[in-house]
Amino acid sequence: MRGEIVAFCCERSAYPAADLAGKGKLCYPDNLRVIRIPCAGRVDAIHILKAFEKGAAAVLVLGCEDGACHHITGNIRARERVRYCDMLLKEVGLDGGRVGMFNVAPNETHKFVRIVNEMNEKIKESGETK
Amino acid sequence: MEEIKQMIAPYNKLLLAGCGTCVTVCWAGGEKEVGILASQLRLARSAEGKEISILEATVERQCEKEMAAELKDKVGEVEAVLSLACGAGVQTMAELFEEKPIFPALNTAFIGMPEKEGLWVEMCGACGDCFLDRTGGICPMVRCAKGLLNGPCGGTRRGGKCEIDPEKDCAWVLIYRRLEKQGRLDLMRKYYPPKNFRAVKSPGRIQAVKA
Amino acid sequence: MEANTGVFICDCGRSMNNIDFSRVREKVAKIPHVTCVNLSSNLCLEEGKEQMTSCIRDKNIDRVVVAACSPEFKEHVFQQALENAGLNGHLLSVANIREQCAWAHEGDVTEKALELIRMAVNRTRLLQPVEEKELSVNKGVLVVGGGFSALNSAIQLSQLGLPTTLLERESTLGGRIRELENMYGFKTGPMIEAAEGAKNIDILTSAEVLEVEGKIGNFMVRIRKGAEEISRSFGAIVFATGYETEVTDQDFQLKPGVNIISQERLAQMLQASSPKGRPQTVGFIFDFYDENSRFPTLATLSNALAIKQKWGSEVYVLCRDVKVDSEGADQLYREAREHGVVFSKFEEKPRISADDGRVKVEAKDVFLGEDMTLICDLVVAEERILPPAGTKDLSFLLSIRTDSQGFYQDENVHLYPVASERKGIFFIGGCRGDLDFQRALADVSSVVMNVYGLLSSGKVVVEAEKVKVDPQKCVACLTCIRVCPHSAIQLARTEGEKEVAEISDLACDACGVCAAICPAKAIKFEGYSDEQILAQIEALGAP
Repeated sequence: MRGEIVAFCCERSAYPAADLAGKGKLCYPDNLRVIRIPCAGRVDAIHILKAFEKGAAAVLVLGCEDGACHHITGNIRARERVRYCDMLLKEVGLDGGRVGMFNVAPNETHKFVRIVNEMNEKIKESGETK
Repeated sequence: MEEIKQMIAPYNKLLLAGCGTCVTVCWAGGEKEVGILASQLRLARSAEGKEISILEATVERQCEKEMAAELKDKVGEVEAVLSLACGAGVQTMAELFEEKPIFPALNTAFIGMPEKEGLWVEMCGACGDCFLDRTGGICPMVRCAKGLLNGPCGGTRRGGKCEIDPEKDCAWVLIYRRLEKQGRLDLMRKYYPPKNFRAVKSPGRIQAVKA
Repeated sequence: MEANTGVFICDCGRSMNNIDFSRVREKVAKIPHVTCVNLSSNLCLEEGKEQMTSCIRDKNIDRVVVAACSPEFKEHVFQQALENAGLNGHLLSVANIREQCAWAHEGDVTEKALELIRMAVNRTRLLQPVEEKELSVNKGVLVVGGGFSALNSAIQLSQLGLPTTLLERESTLGGRIRELENMYGFKTGPMIEAAEGAKNIDILTSAEVLEVEGKIGNFMVRIRKGAEEISRSFGAIVFATGYETEVTDQDFQLKPGVNIISQERLAQMLQASSPKGRPQTVGFIFDFYDENSRFPTLATLSNALAIKQKWGSEVYVLCRDVKVDSEGADQLYREAREHGVVFSKFEEKPRISADDGRVKVEAKDVFLGEDMTLICDLVVAEERILPPAGTKDLSFLLSIRTDSQGFYQDENVHLYPVASERKGIFFIGGCRGDLDFQRALADVSSVVMNVYGLLSSGKVVVEAEKVKVDPQKCVACLTCIRVCPHSAIQLARTEGEKEVAEISDLACDACGVCAAICPAKAIKFEGYSDEQILAQIEALGAP
């Protein structure tokens, strides 16, 4: 198992936050793979499950702050979906907490880095990363 | 899920057959759900260190033999079929492909209508003994928590809500109002003998876990 | 047909030292379908762009990957390079090897850069061109309301040549602006005359909106005017339905009557030429009910001042805080004090009782630390600002949400303050919540610019079928219609007589919520389709 973290990042919030983090040279683990999406609400259960099938150790869905979603409830739907996926993964014996939905505003670079670091710590603990 | 895993445990080549009509509409067995379940099964097997090969296909209506027959070639390739159709679809498939085991992936619960996206309210228990002519088109068999046929129980809450599920309307309050509107309140005075309840399960409503 | 992919790598003036570009170049060339790899240091500059364009043209490249800085910065520049070469700008994927790779990590990240490029190559193979198309729009604008914001936006829109219909529920125009005359010194009469005299304005009074169908560029609106019903079509709709006030009686046991009046009544009294028996002592009460008391503060300050100037009465303002965040409020406050208005601060609500035809107000003054009793001839009660009657029905009818207090909610407070989640429907003025005059003015200008920009040319350019329903797969379960945040999806009958969902290119805002939720996987979002997203995941950890 290689142990990538796949992060689906909303192009209106978390994606610019990730860019800013890079610009500010705030280092985070290099096993992060960002996939740009138009809204957290675009992420579907199958995207998350496939990422695990392909060997990812964790999946993050990062969207706008509650109430600030350009598409009204996209981020709230994403949260529900992530919860649903967590349940699906538990059903097949992948212990919980390896998929998470977080709200990141476009300027919250430190929060972005913290989320990635925390997730990385979590997967390290469960011995998934190389 | 455990149930499904056990059902398919002996097989390594599976067809996941979705159904494109009713179960698609209620987020249970359409192309999307087929994809999710397939992915889940692959993950489960790889966690056990075993392999599985899964074909995915969805037909318009599995309960129609002509439509289910489209799956013939694919069924030929696999050891077993897991059907995401309703009970009727599973049985049609089983009849059509007698030589292969066909497993049900869903527990068909009721016939309902969507209240909003993701929340289905039971409307009909398919009991085979329709009562709707007497109740203004509201079925007390499934929409009353107690399945009462002759008026409400004593526990109706304020605002006409059910004693058992305060989010649900009391079916008999709804029936009374409907009949009142139609000027047919005399129907409330009639006595109806008990029906055969064995056919009715009455889960009431189902909320999809995903948004 | 297999794609002919060109990969353009930019080291951004050698600002990415932790990537071994020659190795990247060597490895990328071995990825299937990649027919050409270019390394440059200045891809986003004019010469880099030109090189890219000529390379695309010469080598017959039909899909492009750029590995450079974040697409947030230069994607449009690279798209332009594609367009210049005669390729649809949409056939581009950007691998973000600068912000999200080289700059974000210490140590060698050549492998990660390679993987990001592989992900982009995988995605770009599956891209389909998205054409732009022009749709004609109706230039007419419907402005609902008859108050300050409605009148002014209608007048300005009509001056810009957009035929405007002004629809007012009451029998006369003007709304509540007469109350504001004291405060801001403008005259209502000429404003109404200007609207009535304008060439491009059609005024419907005693009318109300019954139904709104369709979408931006072509809304069909059913209107009831008196006993008759009319249907008209508009390109955009502006709601300026204002606000209502309510005297907050339950908290103080205030019973509005002869001695206890509202700001509105006070404004009328102040405007009347000869008030019978000028009150000797006037008390104002505010900022006890609602934290957000911008408008009551302004009304109190300006009316207190007006009383001093017109009637010369003694004026006491009893409040918790005077909040002077609105423009000019600070100055008003100072002026009022200079004219002898007395301000007293209380933490608790004052007790109010009748006292022989006058009103007795008692409370503990915070600064004096003592109970204070005031006998007033007239008490102006605190008012609560409410959304106008019918807002709830209207928001249901339009499927547009309201905030926790029932006012219309901005689509995004910072970016699109007057827009709603439905393109082409706007909200301005008091119906957006507790506003002051300057904010209302800003709303008017903002909405006029928005609407003019949308409709002035009579057509809009949209991306055609970016999000599309496959009518073969759609089972008409209506899920997408229920979840679409922009009400952009409707049921439509295709030639085959089957009813399926149809997405309006005009109203769609390309969020992909529908594509994610569709249980039949019938909705394809070009650029972010399931295949295109999964293709990127597919590239994870590939050798």
